[in-house]
Amino acid sequence: MSATTAAPAQTTKTGGLLATIANNARQYGIVGALLIIVVVFQILTGGVLLKPNSFVSLIQQNAYVIILAIGMVMVIIATHIDLSVGSLVAFIGGICALLMERQGVNWGLAILISLLVGLIVGVWQGFWVAYVGIPGFITTLAGMLIFRGLATVLVGESVPITSESFRGIARNYLPNVLGWWGPFDGLTIVLGVACIAAFAWSQLHKRIRAQRVGLVPEPMSLTVIKIVVAALAIGFVTYLLASSGNADQGGTPIMLVIVGVLVLIYNFILTKTVFGRHVYAVGGNRKAAELSGINTRRVDFTLFVHMGFLSAVAAVCMLSRLASATAQAGMEFEMDAIAACFIGGTAVTGGVGTIPGAVVGAFVMGVINQGLSIMGVDTAIVKTIKGLVLLGAVAVDIMSKRKKR
Amino acid sequence: MNDMTPLLEIKDVSKRFEYVEALKSVNLTIGRREVVALVGDNGAGKSTLVKIIAGLCQPTSGGLVVRGEPVRIGDVRDANALGIVSVFQGNELCENLNVAANLFLGRELRTGCGIRDENAMVVRARAVLDTLSSSIQVGRPVASLSVGQRRIIAIAKTLLSEPDLVVLDEPTDSLSVMQTAEVLEYTRRLRAEGRSVIMVCHDLPDVFAVADRIAVLRQGRIIAVHETCETSYEQILAEMAGIVDEDADGRGDESDGVPAGGAVGYRIRVGTSRRLIERRGEQSGLPV
Repeated sequence: MSATTAAPAQTTKTGGLLATIANNARQYGIVGALLIIVVVFQILTGGVLLKPNSFVSLIQQNAYVIILAIGMVMVIIATHIDLSVGSLVAFIGGICALLMERQGVNWGLAILISLLVGLIVGVWQGFWVAYVGIPGFITTLAGMLIFRGLATVLVGESVPITSESFRGIARNYLPNVLGWWGPFDGLTIVLGVACIAAFAWSQLHKRIRAQRVGLVPEPMSLTVIKIVVAALAIGFVTYLLASSGNADQGGTPIMLVIVGVLVLIYNFILTKTVFGRHVYAVGGNRKAAELSGINTRRVDFTLFVHMGFLSAVAAVCMLSRLASATAQAGMEFEMDAIAACFIGGTAVTGGVGTIPGAVVGAFVMGVINQGLSIMGVDTAIVKTIKGLVLLGAVAVDIMSKRKKR
Repeated sequence: MNDMTPLLEIKDVSKRFEYVEALKSVNLTIGRREVVALVGDNGAGKSTLVKIIAGLCQPTSGGLVVRGEPVRIGDVRDANALGIVSVFQGNELCENLNVAANLFLGRELRTGCGIRDENAMVVRARAVLDTLSSSIQVGRPVASLSVGQRRIIAIAKTLLSEPDLVVLDEPTDSLSVMQTAEVLEYTRRLRAEGRSVIMVCHDLPDVFAVADRIAVLRQGRIIAVHETCETSYEQILAEMAGIVDEDADGRGDESDGVPAGGAVGYRIRVGTSRRLIERRGEQSGLPV
């Protein structure tokens, strides 16, 4: 059978640990860069960066960037951009706050309505981009102005949130159902071990599947290295989380669960579904996608609906964290999300990018932010440094591609 | 459905762009199991005609009839649903995806609920590439393939959807001699499998190598349709250039052509050549 004969012939061509790493230099490079940045700031902050509670606040403070970056990376892969997400965070956050505080709506229902508003806004923007043909840049630039304006009209000065349950979303941890195992939260340790097992299983499963259909799997040594590095990283994070918190509660923050679930779902959509394939196809070569019978308009439309939904999730998280709706909420969030995508290896020209990459990109920005603010560096300087990091990351990407040619 | 019903009839199709009349009352019939080449100088209207068939643009007037039924081909998906697939030069593939992904683009195999069946696609893609005597690996990114290999992938895509009519736009353009041979062989194979092919081609030797009939377009009109075995390079070239009309070519008496509707101001010879008889004979099982 061809499957069995093809495999060894192909292995000799592509095999080798170093060759595989070199081929995926961008992906491994960004993870390496994140590790280096973490180590550097750990030293510069005298070990404060990776203290359990400081790590939890790193996650809680950057959850919104990750949530927005999930949608943004898909939008950018399809060669669009969304500049309106920051304004949407203010607008939808404002609606959510007004529902709870002025209309007396239950906080759960208020969240549902907010998500629905996000979907409707997504439909609105998707319509203009996909069916009228206005470039995403223009449509969402208009959206940025429209929704910031509406947010100001709705919210006025500010609307403080009184619901403790709602405020708990951004502050609380998963309940300590398994008790304390020494100084550690039991549930967090179980979740951490489960994550390591799931990662190892997915990597091994990928190899077996590739071999079964006669494709070249990555070298076994690389798979092992990946699993070991991931196990160490997840293990360390689990240790930090399990020992985080205060006298009342601790362990896994709810925000991390929300972000984790969204990352898993959207990564599945982007890598395993037909829709995900079409997103890459539209970004890689829109004309070819059209000629292949892909409904490119529907792909564009659906992407903006997803982006609207994720903006609403970010709005709810942000509102919970700030405990007050203001018209200025979410200012420049779109820029953070876009920067996270590009630092995480998304191609400027579209067609290339991953959600895990964008998450790593978001963490690079987050760690720099957090590290510099612990060191007491002025926010203006923090901004400058973030800008330089973005420029540097994309420059390295573009130059490495040029070299390959 | 009657097997003698033509696969595709182009009826009185005109296409007007803002200032240009790209097609003027074009009539052409594509039968089953035949390769029809469209030739003509730049701007003759070949591309516009195949775009209309592929669903990429709409005729200003006139229409298409597929298997005896008048149809409206609004987009590529409509065309695919009618069994018409197209390969357009230069726009065939997504560079960021691998070979298997490109082969199945737009008709991905699924396990259900919109989830792709990657295994099945890899296995099937390899099977199709094996039949093409091609050494292309299905897991390779398309960006790493040569022009010829890409063309093969683009054409192999058509095999997967089992179309009745394949539209090839400049299939041999910028290919090496060997690659051209492979593409031409592939075109013959489509015909042998019972499919029809419309190919737009600049290269007359390639046209003469595979086409059963050659339609010459000039200034938006079909000025002649020849059985390949009854015409010559010189005649086609002259017609493309507009030097010769049908009475001056001196070949009018040789063909047993009958005038057929279509090109305004010209006579189209629709011969019943020996070749066609042979093929019909094969099809119907009659002795030739």
